[in-house]
Amino acid sequence: MSSWRSLRFEFQAMASACSLQIDGVDEQHIRQAAALAVAEVHRIEQKYSRYRPDSVTSVINAGAGTQWVEIDAETSSLLDYAGQLWDISGGLFDITSGILRRAWDFRVARLPEEAQLQKLLPRIGWNQVERRPGAVRWVGTGRELDFGGFGKEYAADRAAAVLAEQGCVHALVNLGGDLHALGPRGLPESFGAPWHIDIQHPRPDPAQPLAAIAQIALSRGGLATSGDYERFLIHDGKRYCHILNPHTGWPVHHWQSVSVLASNTSGAGALSTIAMLKGEGASQWLQTQGVRYLTVGPDGQLAHGG
Amino acid sequence: MNHSNTATSETLPGVLLATLLLPGLAALSTLAPLTAAAESAPEKATLAFKYGHYNDGQDGWSRVSVDAPYLYLQTPIASDWSLEGSWVGDDVSGASPRMHTDRSGASHMSDYRKASDLKVTRYFSRAAVSASVAYSDEHDYTSRALGLDARWSTDDNNRTWTLGLGSSNDRIDNQSNGVNTAINQHKRTQELMAGVTQVLTPTDIAQLNLTRSVGAGYYNDPYKSFDQRPNQRNAWIGLLRWNHYVEPIDTSLRSSYRYYSDTFGVRSHTLGLDWVKPVGRWTLTPGVRYYTQTAANFYFDPVLNAQGQIDSLGTLIRAATLTGDKSADQRLAAFGALTMSIKAAYAITPDAVIDVKLERYRQSAALRLNGDGSPGLAPFNARFIQLGFTYRF
Repeated sequence: MSSWRSLRFEFQAMASACSLQIDGVDEQHIRQAAALAVAEVHRIEQKYSRYRPDSVTSVINAGAGTQWVEIDAETSSLLDYAGQLWDISGGLFDITSGILRRAWDFRVARLPEEAQLQKLLPRIGWNQVERRPGAVRWVGTGRELDFGGFGKEYAADRAAAVLAEQGCVHALVNLGGDLHALGPRGLPESFGAPWHIDIQHPRPDPAQPLAAIAQIALSRGGLATSGDYERFLIHDGKRYCHILNPHTGWPVHHWQSVSVLASNTSGAGALSTIAMLKGEGASQWLQTQGVRYLTVGPDGQLAHGG
Repeated sequence: MNHSNTATSETLPGVLLATLLLPGLAALSTLAPLTAAAESAPEKATLAFKYGHYNDGQDGWSRVSVDAPYLYLQTPIASDWSLEGSWVGDDVSGASPRMHTDRSGASHMSDYRKASDLKVTRYFSRAAVSASVAYSDEHDYTSRALGLDARWSTDDNNRTWTLGLGSSNDRIDNQSNGVNTAINQHKRTQELMAGVTQVLTPTDIAQLNLTRSVGAGYYNDPYKSFDQRPNQRNAWIGLLRWNHYVEPIDTSLRSSYRYYSDTFGVRSHTLGLDWVKPVGRWTLTPGVRYYTQTAANFYFDPVLNAQGQIDSLGTLIRAATLTGDKSADQRLAAFGALTMSIKAAYAITPDAVIDVKLERYRQSAALRLNGDGSPGLAPFNARFIQLGFTYRF
């Protein structure tokens, strides 16, 4: 009779620390499954990274406004999904808003000029993306799109799907805090127990920068957190975070962080980001989406629902 | 060419529904029991042993009791092949089924039935094909069946198609006893099944199966007097299943509806609901099932006296004067039934699970939809308990 073991694989992808944890019996098989899952994450990263000149994203952006760019079925599906999120969020979730990075530099504590933002805003808008089967183009020049808004979550789901296909039942995928649990723990001593996930404290004590504000039990499905603490600048004592409203060009202000538990990571990630963008009314909206969530409010107060 | 800005629907779908647009996510459906992907070859062997005890009765009168040990083995035999086999032995003792609910017709019986089947499956990347044989035998009844089924899923695993063919040949031979002696009589049935399983949302999956069954041969019950049935029985069966995962309470709701209609004139509806709730090492599954059916065209009601009791002589006279097909078999009457069940499974280790299942069944004319079941049927109750042990290695 073979014995159970828990293997943890750590790797770097999408500019984040990533890990896979798998409980199982056949070590060789677990290693093989993990290698396939890691390869899937790297595949998605290479295909959609805006830092690679040969990526799908770079090719689409290079052709912006001039010609139809041929895309494959996967890319087409990602664009369909982006379009749905744009509709659902009333235009708040917009994969064309990355162009605002030209005005916002979070490495320096300096705010952009309003005029600079006003110049960029007309170049933002999913409604400026034109589609036809197997191809995409822009209605104007100087636009760019970016799959960064959900690429990591999508990769977490795909990695989980690879593990599931390989027969892994007790596994946790973590791509820089975007998680997918395929099932609860499998080791005999902890069989059926959920994975315990720490939620990052948005305003940690500087002595303990990785302190948790809460712990969430996750048995299956996705968990993602969006917060104003990931990248930000402080100007005149006010925090400006990297989550930007595509209608105004300015950062959102309300929640310190929003965590969402959903049946997959892509959904959890989109819900937490849209909740950040929606601001104060987000909890009522999350209720209508049938998911569980944890919010850290403006004064650091915890609330949960769903 | 369509512009992506055209939001057509007034009520926008939720974010989770939208995630189904992403390729491959449907495979992560949290509803494992009804997955839309054609499964891959098993890596481990599964051995299950179950022991069931069944008894039924009417008005405190204990009728049949069955003890059934059951053995199941599934094992990978090569990288893309698996073999499944099962064996069950039923030890039946008690009274034969009554006509209507007239006790005088009941005689004592005891029998031993054994059944086994064997199935071999070949797995492909998005498909699987199985061939099966089944055999069952009791002293006066032998059944042989062959089956072939194929299932294949779409690239995104969002949909699986199933096609099945089945054929059975039953032999009825009761030389020694019985009212209508049946010597070397046969019944042949052919079945064609087509089905589709579709992921609807990340937490919803639905299945529709349609079956056409065509049968010909000997359908009479040799142990019942005045039992003469058509020698053809064709049926349509529709099965709709919907599984929904309730995320906040980590519970799967499994629901099903089955429609059955045959050329005997029996039409039935079955509605089933099960809740599957994992709690650490435990999995609790309470369930409820409702069944209702119309009587066969040739089923005849008993003659009731002024007090509403069965008039045996009157019924016999009526039966004797009926021409053509006729039967008083309670199973061909109009009735309804309700089953309540609870199953508790406990994982001693991830590969060793014990379970216990309790089921209570009540059948009566009054339970029929609209409450107008056949007259003269006394309510019928059954209890079923099963203990099981499953081991993977």
